[in-house]
Amino acid sequence: MIEISSLSKHYGRHKAVDQISFEVARGEIVGFLGPNGAGKTTTLRMLTGFLPPSSGAARIAGKDIFRESLEVRKRIGYMPENVPLYTEMRVKEYLRFRGALRGLSGRRLRTRMGEVLETCGLTDVRRKMIKTLSKGYRQRVGLADALIHEPDLLILDEPTNGLDPNQIRAIRRLIQNLGQKHTILLSTHILSEVEMTCNKVVIIDGGKVKAADTPANLVNSMRRAGRVTVEMQAPIPDAEAAMTTFEEVTKVTSEALQDGWNRFTVFVAPHTDTRAKLGNLATQKNWPLRTLSRRVGTLEEVFVELTRKD
Amino acid sequence: MRIFRILYFKELKTYFLTPFGWLILAFAALMQGLILSTTLEAFENQAQSESLVYLNFTSPFFWFYFLFLFPVLTMRLFSEENRSGTLEGLLTAPVRTWQVVLSKFSAAYTAFITLWIPALIHFKLFTTITDIPPPFTNGELYGAIIIILLMGALFTAFGCLASALTASQIIAGVVCVGILFIHFLLGLVTTFFGDQIIAAPLFDFISSQNHLRDFSRGLLDTRPLFYYLCSAAFTLFLTHHLLDYRRWKP
Repeated sequence: MIEISSLSKHYGRHKAVDQISFEVARGEIVGFLGPNGAGKTTTLRMLTGFLPPSSGAARIAGKDIFRESLEVRKRIGYMPENVPLYTEMRVKEYLRFRGALRGLSGRRLRTRMGEVLETCGLTDVRRKMIKTLSKGYRQRVGLADALIHEPDLLILDEPTNGLDPNQIRAIRRLIQNLGQKHTILLSTHILSEVEMTCNKVVIIDGGKVKAADTPANLVNSMRRAGRVTVEMQAPIPDAEAAMTTFEEVTKVTSEALQDGWNRFTVFVAPHTDTRAKLGNLATQKNWPLRTLSRRVGTLEEVFVELTRKD
Repeated sequence: MRIFRILYFKELKTYFLTPFGWLILAFAALMQGLILSTTLEAFENQAQSESLVYLNFTSPFFWFYFLFLFPVLTMRLFSEENRSGTLEGLLTAPVRTWQVVLSKFSAAYTAFITLWIPALIHFKLFTTITDIPPPFTNGELYGAIIIILLMGALFTAFGCLASALTASQIIAGVVCVGILFIHFLLGLVTTFFGDQIIAAPLFDFISSQNHLRDFSRGLLDTRPLFYYLCSAAFTLFLTHHLLDYRRWKP
């Protein structure tokens, strides 16, 4: 659906986006993550044809974003950051205008308007002026606008920005439902949301792609995820020596707890699980064991690890 | 063409479905009425050698309000979309930039044209109300209206250009007034410095004051027609590129 190859955008000397490449397959929901100023919005603006790339190329549904901009724009529904809307229009009027711009008319426009009003939960406010709507409703109007022409690809720039937890859940459910029919590329800061909705994550920082994989793979391959905590009554030097003989174990640290037990933190290579071996070790040596747990990482930790400045 | 029509009617709505357009119309009608009544007073006091239309449109008050119509009509067009960010939504929809520019210009120009309906009615009602033959001919009246519409095309285009320059309506308005005022002063150069300067024909060629004088005497000249239409087209071309600047800047 989207093929990006070494896409760059420079503002003078500043490289906002620096040679990024990734692909999005049809039907995927892709989370586009990065700290503030990482180049997320610039990338999305290039994909939607609002900004031209400085170099590189991207194709959406097989069409070049620069040379066939109009064709590309027909195929995408874009919700810009902060959802700019014509506030002096009424919801229905706005959607009619935006639908007509995208080439809908007559009965088709009317049925699509009814459908998106329903999907986005706007039926009750359809006659209201947009300026009287709350932030959550405006966000939904923006989403309805992006959806009205049934685009192949939805590009959402921070769709849940500034919403309360209930509204975030509602929008998330909406996105999950939409994911059954559309390909979605969404940028966000809220990582739990990505873990729940997206089947692929692209993390960028400083204009470069740091990682592009499924959330589960990212978490597994993270350095800090490979960490097992063991609490047992064993002499510290003996236990450390015994544990470091396993090939997966990279490092062991230990501390003596108040109650006579010792806690060992065992660092292991990614994608390995040494808990069984550690359990066996304790039984063989007759060391009483009370805790044996592997730390499960979160996407947030992956994000911090990849984008930390130090 | 379809996209142009949709955008055009959307813009037109902001003039005529809000109090905004009607306020300008009321202001224009008021000024036109005031100028007409002061000109008529001059007729009352002594015999005049020129027609009512000519004296009406060459009255010093005319320029005073005429030049201020354009910033008010146009300052909002692009700057407001730029400020609120709706330009992004508009230009990422499958529309061409020229459709956006032309539709906004056309809507503002349509609004400008409607401002002259009251003036036309004033002159048309003259005989009905006073029961005397009008002190002007139709040629003079239509000549004056034609040149005002021609000037309006260029000045509205100036307003579009000023509005596309900035995200602030106020600055857009001030820039528009500035451009119009400079254009107005250039038209006065030969009045101040005489016809002897080398560039006198050029200043005469672009002098709106001269054009208005000629046309409101019923003298139709194709040179101003050419001048206003070409300059308006060129100004809109600049506006188009200003708006597309983000697409080709390094």
